[in-house]
Amino acid sequence: MREVRVPVGDAPSEGGVRIVELDGHRLGLYRVGDAFFALADRCPHRGAPLCAGSVATAVEVRDGEIVLGTPNATVRCPWHKWEFDIPTGRALLDERLRVRRYDVRVHGDEIIVSLDR
Amino acid sequence: MLIDCDIHIGYETIADLVPFLDAPTAELVRQSGTNGLAMPTYPWNHPAGWIRRDLYERGDGHDANFVYMSLDTLRTRHLDPYGVDVGIVEPDEAAVFSVLPNSQLAARLCSAYNDWLLENWLAPEPRLRGMIVVPAQWPEAAAREIRRLGGRDEFVGIFLPGAARIPYGNPVYDPIWEAANELGLPVAVHTHYESIGIAGPITAAGMPDFYAEYHTLCGTGMYGHFVSILCHGIFERFPETRVAMVEGGLVPFVGFLWRLDTNWKSCRSEIPWCRRRPSEYVWDHVRFATQPLETPDEPAQLLQAIEFLRPAETLMYASDFPHWDFDEPEQTLRQLPDAWRDNVRWRNAAGFFRLPVPAAVA
Repeated sequence: MREVRVPVGDAPSEGGVRIVELDGHRLGLYRVGDAFFALADRCPHRGAPLCAGSVATAVEVRDGEIVLGTPNATVRCPWHKWEFDIPTGRALLDERLRVRRYDVRVHGDEIIVSLDR
Repeated sequence: MLIDCDIHIGYETIADLVPFLDAPTAELVRQSGTNGLAMPTYPWNHPAGWIRRDLYERGDGHDANFVYMSLDTLRTRHLDPYGVDVGIVEPDEAAVFSVLPNSQLAARLCSAYNDWLLENWLAPEPRLRGMIVVPAQWPEAAAREIRRLGGRDEFVGIFLPGAARIPYGNPVYDPIWEAANELGLPVAVHTHYESIGIAGPITAAGMPDFYAEYHTLCGTGMYGHFVSILCHGIFERFPETRVAMVEGGLVPFVGFLWRLDTNWKSCRSEIPWCRRRPSEYVWDHVRFATQPLETPDEPAQLLQAIEFLRPAETLMYASDFPHWDFDEPEQTLRQLPDAWRDNVRWRNAAGFFRLPVPAAVA
């Protein structure tokens, strides 16, 4: 199966996650603002179940000030606490390190997560 | 065969120890403070939690810094999937008893903790072995606790935290070493509670500001004990005991040993009881737990850096489960040469803790 459909009513709230299976892969469906994103439930560091980690708001330095980034746009690995940006899958400490992302679109009252990129 | 030398277990709250305490101390635990007896704790917090998030079993509103999980979780998330044959249990919050100012309270809490551990964990799960928690600030009471439990198969050693008022080689601790020697038990010195309670500061530079600093420096107490134990000739005087350095890294010990071996040559007359070069006592009596395995970008650099420690004979696998920086067995072992792996996986620990070895693997 190349895609999985989740009713909009079952979508995760912001700060939460919904685990779905797609073609034998576990992945986490997230909401950041009004948008949905899906990430592989596997940390690229040591293979931990990434989506068991907490959703957080990144702390950033901008123009010399410590500020908060986009609300609830970061997932922290439950094991070693590495942080990943949910919309891009990129590690906050090194942009070259990425979690696998899946294509997500909303069609009618369904969220469709697809293996296609 | 796999032996994990560092699994942490903790009570939900210190009130769990009440059934194992004498009545007056139980009353103190219930009534002290505003909400029961509080232990001194770290001024630094991990920014995202000390415990693996996928193993966090406390409800909201409880102290998030300490380990709390069910025996079933330990079995299904660690012992079973990784095939751990023997897990050595180190304390979590109970490590702080050793640096409480009130040594009499500490002694009673240590005994209650050891009995709680025995009844709730060691007796029901034969794969687990305990380290006896003792009040190091009162060595005579610590020795009594070691003799009370040290003959039992469920306990395989003595736990001492990195935090202390005085380094562990000092003669004030002789009662602990005498008891360990008499029972043939090893001592594990494990980073815990540096700068807390009656313990000395974590560095002579002063207090670090950040958790990241603290966690980088947390082995400093252990390094002090390591050098103290060697310079006081503990292994000359107590030849049956052994010492494990747990969670202090590996590379720092290389530098300290090189420096101490050099200083011994010039300062021999100050410590004449050290008849052999300090590193030679290490090869015979000291072992090092692997976690947290240092991870340079180029793995070969690690092997080169630790070669002097004779790692095939001195390293013992440790996970630190369920803390945030735990190391999986295969992830650790595959970074080491094939020729070391069986030794690190179990042989070195089996010898160190004097564990019975099944004939099938011996």
